[in-house]
Amino acid sequence: MSDLLIKTEKLCKTFHHDGIKTPVLFDVDMQVRQGEFVAVMGPSGCGKSTLMHILGLMLSPSGGDIIIDGCSAADLNEAGRAKLRREKIGFVFQRFNLLPTVSGYDNIAVAERIRGNTVDGQVDNALAAVDMTEKARFKPGRLSIGQQQRIAIARAIVHRPRIVMADEPTGNLDSTNAETILELFRQIHREQGITIFLITHSLTAAQYADRIIYMADGRIQDIG
Amino acid sequence: MLKLALANLTHRKIRSALSVLAVAIAITLLLVLVGLSRGTLNEVSNRMQSVQAEIIVRDKHFDLGSMSGGKLWEKEIADIVRIQIDDTPAVEHVMAVFLDRMKLAGLSQNVFGVHPEDFAFFAGSRRLIKGEIFSDVDSPSAALALAEAKSNRKIILDSASTTSEPLNYLPLIIDQRLAAASQLAVGDPVSYGDSPAKIVAVVETGVAGRVFAPINMLRGANGVAAQTAHMFFVKANPSLNTDQLQKLCEQIHSNIRRDATLVANYGQVIAENFRNLTIFMNLVSVIALVICFLFILVTIYTIVLERGKEIAILQSLGASRLRVLGQTVQESLIICSTGTVLGIILTFVVRYLIETLQPLMTIEVRISWILIAVLVGIGGGILSALYPGYIALSHDPVEALSFE
Ligand SMILES: Nc1ncnc2c1ncn2[C@@H]1O[C@H](COP(=O)(O)OP(=O)(O)O)[C@@H](O)[C@H]1O
Ligand SMILES: [Mg+2]
Repeated sequence: MSDLLIKTEKLCKTFHHDGIKTPVLFDVDMQVRQGEFVAVMGPSGCGKSTLMHILGLMLSPSGGDIIIDGCSAADLNEAGRAKLRREKIGFVFQRFNLLPTVSGYDNIAVAERIRGNTVDGQVDNALAAVDMTEKARFKPGRLSIGQQQRIAIARAIVHRPRIVMADEPTGNLDSTNAETILELFRQIHREQGITIFLITHSLTAAQYADRIIYMADGRIQDIG
Repeated sequence: MLKLALANLTHRKIRSALSVLAVAIAITLLLVLVGLSRGTLNEVSNRMQSVQAEIIVRDKHFDLGSMSGGKLWEKEIADIVRIQIDDTPAVEHVMAVFLDRMKLAGLSQNVFGVHPEDFAFFAGSRRLIKGEIFSDVDSPSAALALAEAKSNRKIILDSASTTSEPLNYLPLIIDQRLAAASQLAVGDPVSYGDSPAKIVAVVETGVAGRVFAPINMLRGANGVAAQTAHMFFVKANPSLNTDQLQKLCEQIHSNIRRDATLVANYGQVIAENFRNLTIFMNLVSVIALVICFLFILVTIYTIVLERGKEIAILQSLGASRLRVLGQTVQESLIICSTGTVLGIILTFVVRYLIETLQPLMTIEVRISWILIAVLVGIGGGILSALYPGYIALSHDPVEALSFE
């Protein structure tokens, strides 16, 4: 068995809006190995988020293919993509994207219920891993932004996914909170062996990774 | 994930409460409009059927709408009583009714002029709650003479009364509902046109007329000297079966050339008489239904459209489309079913209010229409959530996730 978790083949993406074409990704070939901590860096607008959304099967490519854990995304229908997403991937966003109406605990519980899992010790474990056990009963609106992002990370790891994809998770945080969050990713990576795919434009953040992928103008620049 | 749906709804309590109220108002509107358009006519027909009689006889020119027109002669009763069906006397008793309209406490009412001894047939099992049955003069001409005497400021003698007490007013019996609505009680003076009248008794609701008066005095008060009537109620021999009753109707028609209808069919006769009104009522029902549906649609539509971000979050967590739709439908159903229940309760409240304030109106709340309302509520809830849910799903979840 290969230790490749994600492999893309000539991935292209062009957005079409009102007849205007915006080409964003050009022939992206990249790989993420099982258990790696990869950071993707590049200037704003170079296509990092788009790449992540395609890798996370939230967005379909205009050309090329992605192979995740041995499955070709091109062979999957919408239901198959949703299944892969809920079983193998966890997302963390710059703007947290928590459900505002339920508590931190229930934000994680909802994710588990979507997977058909019973809500049990897993949620508590995830909360403990991000040190949010105490505050879990509060709704997101009553948490600080750093705490909100920790809940979002707990949500992304509760089901022990193969990979956590994080799109500028520290982009909205001050340096102290950012450091806490980055430490959390390091901890998750080391202790739980979860692959981390971290998008950032901060060099400090990227230094937590084993490997940095540079992007510019929709292309991979250099694999370091 | 009922919890999420409930949390979403309690998160914005006022908004949710207003949505529930909107649905409730739509359902109430539906039930009240339909109930009102059907209820008043049906109530008249039900009251007619409360009379201890099987057949109504009327002239073909008599108009049920205005309760006026062609008249009958009381002497025709003899021809009806004589009828035999299969060699047995078919008729037990015939009651004449002279109809008129009067205003009581600002409400226009039909007045049933009846012979005092016939009143028991009209009351049936319903009791006089207060007061006593009125008496009458012997003939309309006697009543006219008395009226004349009264206008000459002489004392009117109640000639039927054994005590010969003077009676210088038209005695009226009203039903309980009218009494409650008009706040009239036994002994209260009212006016009948220009002449004085007085409430002498209150009868339980459900009798054919809301107002009864002695027939001859009512004729006299209308300046009618002849013994005319507008309707006869025929109490048939109890041994007659339905076929024989039908035969009796035909016999009455051929003997005295009057329309005879089974009381049981009266509702139908009214409906035929009010064909345009019936069409109108059906139209009102359909329009109310459509408005109710649109109301629910708009209410839920706006709620679900707001859920774009939530839908995208659920998708990023790997929720299937079906699951996401289920979530929006669940939320909508909570609002719509609560609203429907509230609407049904509200309908009964509105019915109570309208019937108390406007005793002429009756709102009929039928089980069948409640079921239709429930279907509209639930169906509207599902459909109105599916459509915007589908739209939200067809949007790019990535875009929704990037917005604040
Ligand atoms: N849904 C979209 N429709 C059209 N253009 C888009 C869409 N999403 C992103 N883009 C464009 O694609 C380019 C790359 O965007 P993005 O992947 O968000 O870059 P990054 O995350 O590196 O800043 C930008 O020019 C952006 O305007
Ligand atoms: Mg981005």
